[in-house]
Amino acid sequence: MRTALSWRGDVLVAALAFVALAVPAFALGVSSVHDFAVRFAIFGLLAMSLNLLIGTTGLVSFGHAAFFGSGAYAFGLLMQSGGWSVPAAILAAMAFTAVLALAIGTLCVRLSEIYFAFLTLAFQMLIHSLVISWVSLTGGDQGLMGGVPKPPFLGIDLGDARHLAMFSAFCLLVSVVALRQIVRSPFGAALRMLRDNPERAAFVGLSIFRYRLAAFVIAGTFAGLAGVLMSLYVSGAFPTFLYWTTSGEAIFMIMLGGITVFLGPLVGTAIFLVLNDRITNITEHHGLVMGSILLVLVLGLRKGLLDFVVDAWRERQEKRT
Amino acid sequence: MSQHDRGGIGRRSTLAAGAALGAAAIAGFPMIARGQARQPIKIGMPTILSGRVAQLGVSSRNAVMMEVERFNAAGGLDGRPIEVIVRDSRGVPAEAARIAREMITSDRVDLIFDAEASAGGFAVHEVVRETGTLTLHLNSETSSLTADPRQRFWNAFRVARQGIHDSIAGGAYAAEIVKARNLTRWMTVSPDYAYGRDTTAEFVEYLKAFAPNVQVIGETWPRLFQPDYTENVTRLTQGRPQAIYSCLWAGDLVTFVEQASLYGLFNQSQFFGVNLADYTTLQQIKALPRGMHSGNRYLKTFPAVPGNLAFAEEYNRRYQTFPTNWAWQSATAVSLLVEALRKVGGTDPRQLAAALKGMTIDSPFGADGKVTMRAEDQTLVGYAIGWGTTISADPFVENMTKADWATILRHEQDWKRSKGWA
Repeated sequence: MRTALSWRGDVLVAALAFVALAVPAFALGVSSVHDFAVRFAIFGLLAMSLNLLIGTTGLVSFGHAAFFGSGAYAFGLLMQSGGWSVPAAILAAMAFTAVLALAIGTLCVRLSEIYFAFLTLAFQMLIHSLVISWVSLTGGDQGLMGGVPKPPFLGIDLGDARHLAMFSAFCLLVSVVALRQIVRSPFGAALRMLRDNPERAAFVGLSIFRYRLAAFVIAGTFAGLAGVLMSLYVSGAFPTFLYWTTSGEAIFMIMLGGITVFLGPLVGTAIFLVLNDRITNITEHHGLVMGSILLVLVLGLRKGLLDFVVDAWRERQEKRT
Repeated sequence: MSQHDRGGIGRRSTLAAGAALGAAAIAGFPMIARGQARQPIKIGMPTILSGRVAQLGVSSRNAVMMEVERFNAAGGLDGRPIEVIVRDSRGVPAEAARIAREMITSDRVDLIFDAEASAGGFAVHEVVRETGTLTLHLNSETSSLTADPRQRFWNAFRVARQGIHDSIAGGAYAAEIVKARNLTRWMTVSPDYAYGRDTTAEFVEYLKAFAPNVQVIGETWPRLFQPDYTENVTRLTQGRPQAIYSCLWAGDLVTFVEQASLYGLFNQSQFFGVNLADYTTLQQIKALPRGMHSGNRYLKTFPAVPGNLAFAEEYNRRYQTFPTNWAWQSATAVSLLVEALRKVGGTDPRQLAAALKGMTIDSPFGADGKVTMRAEDQTLVGYAIGWGTTISADPFVENMTKADWATILRHEQDWKRSKGWA
C-alpha cells in the first residue's frame, strides 16, 4: 500500500514539475528556457544516473561518460542509417549502452574504491580512443557529422526547439521517477547495505557482484538516454562526450548538489549550468572564475548544497522538538 | 539508516529542489525579452578564447572588431551599426553548438560568424542547418564542409582557405623544387588526427601527380600537443629523406622545429611546412632556420599590396601583435557581409544569402586583388596562396611564389569527381 502511494506521489510531483516547465516554455514562448530545459534534462539525467552508483551504491565511477557518449553515437548512427523511427532508435541506443555497461560492469564491479574508479576510467579512455580512431564509422575527432535526422513521430517534431524541450523534460521526469522507485525498492535498500557494510550484506546472502552489476547497468542505461538527448540537441556526437572531462563534470554536479539527498544532483546540475552559462558570457577566464566559486562552495559548505540545506533544516526541527 | 527510506524527507527534498530550481532558472535568464525596436545588426560569434588555440580565436575576434568598428564609424547601414557578441566555447564542440543556439534563440542575432576550429565549426553548422540562420564559417578549413553536397544548405558560407586548395598549391610548388633539385625520397611528419592524416594524404597525392618519381619512404605521426618530438626526429634523421613534409601547426610546429634544429635535421633535408608562415609560429621559433619552405598562412608581405600592409599595421597598432590566418579570413568575412548588406539594404537572410552567392569583392588578400564567394558550393576562392622560403628575421619569408588558381580549380574539380561530389 505504501509503495503504491509513494508511486502516485512521485508521479504527481513529476507531473507538477512537468507543468512548471511546460508553462514557461509554451505560454511565454521564451526560447532561452527551451535550451536550458534541454541541457538541464541532459546533464540532470547524467548526474542522477551517476548518483545511483556514487550516492546509493557507493561506487565512484570516473568513466560514466563512456555510456553517455555511447548512447549519443549509437543513436546518431542509427538515425543516420535511415529506416529507424526516433523511439525505436532511442530504445535501441539504450539497449546498446545497457549491453556495453553489462560487459564493462562485469569486469569493473568486482573491484571497489580507487581500483573501481580507475578501471572505469580506463574503459572510458579505451572507448574514447576507439571512437577517435574508427574514423570511417564515427568521423574520428571531428565527430559524427552530417546531422541527425529527426522524423516526427506521434505528432512530436524534435526538430522544433519547444518539442525537444518538452520531450527532454518528459524523459528526465520519467527517469527520475523510475530511479526514485529503484532507490526506494528492496533492491535499493540492498544497494545501500552494500555501500555501508558489504561484509554484512554478503553474510546475509546477497550477491555483491550481481547487485552492483545491476546498479551499474541501470546507471549506464540512463546515462545512455542522456546521451541520446545530447545527440538530439547538437544534431551530432563528438568525442568530448566520452572524454573524462564529461565524467568529471557529472561528478562536479553531484558534489555541488549533494549526494545523500535524492534530488541533490539535479540541484547541482542547475547550479553548474547557470554558473557555466553566465561565466562564459562575461569572461574568457572561465576556469578561474568557476574554480573559485567551486572552491568557496566546497570549503564553505563542505557538502553539497541540498545536503547542507536538508541537514540544517533537520537540525532546526530537532532543536524545536 | 539512510535518508532515502524516509518518504517525508524525500518529498520535502523534492519541494526544496523545486524551489532551488525555480530560483536558479530565474537567476539564469536575465536577458529574456529584449526590445526589438530599431536595433543594431547583431552578429553572434562563438570562438575559442581559452586553451591552446586561444591565440587564433582572439585574432579572429580582433580582426572582426577592427573591421566592424570601421563600418560603424562610417555610419553603418543607414545608421544601423553592427554589434558583435563574442563568446568562448573553449574549443568544445558541444559548447560551440550551445552558444550558437543560445545566441540565435536568446540574443536573437541576425547572423552567426562561426569562428571555431573544424570540430566546433561542424557542430555550429548542424545548429544553423536547423535554425536557418545566415552563417559565415570563418576558420574551418576542412574541405568536406562545403565540398560535400550533403553538408551544403542555403544559409551557410565558408570564408576561409580550404584544405584541398592548399594541398594542390603545395603539391605543385613542391614538385617544381623536386624537379629542380631532384628530391625524390620523402618522409612526412604530421599530427595524428583527422586533419593531419587527410591533409598529408592530399599533399602527397598532388605531389606525386605533379612529380611522379617521388617516393614516400616513411611517415611518423606525433600526437596532437605532444611535448617531446625526439622519437619522431630520430625516425626522420635515420630515414635520411631528401625532403620532409609536415602539417604540424602552431605550438606543435614551434616545438618540433626547435627540437629538430638541434639534431641538424634541416641541414640534411629540405623541409616543407604548410603551416609555418604565420606570425604566431614564425615569431615563436627562437632561431628560425633559413631556407625552410612554407605555405602562407598570413604574411603582411604577401600579397605585396599596400592594402595588406595597411591591414597588418593597423592591426599591429591596435593589438600590439600581427594578424594570423584567422585574422585575414575574419576581416574578409566582414568585408563580404558589408558588401551584401549594402546591396540588399537590410538584413533579410534569404536576400543576403542570394547577394553573397557568387559575390566578388576587391580584397588585399586576393591573389589578383579580388576574392570570390563561389556560388556553386558557397566557399571562398581566389584568395592568395603562395610558398616561399624562410629567413631568420622580419619579414621571415622571402621569394614567395604565387599559386596558380587555374591549376587549383582544375584539380579541385577532379578531386570532387573522384569523391562523387561533382
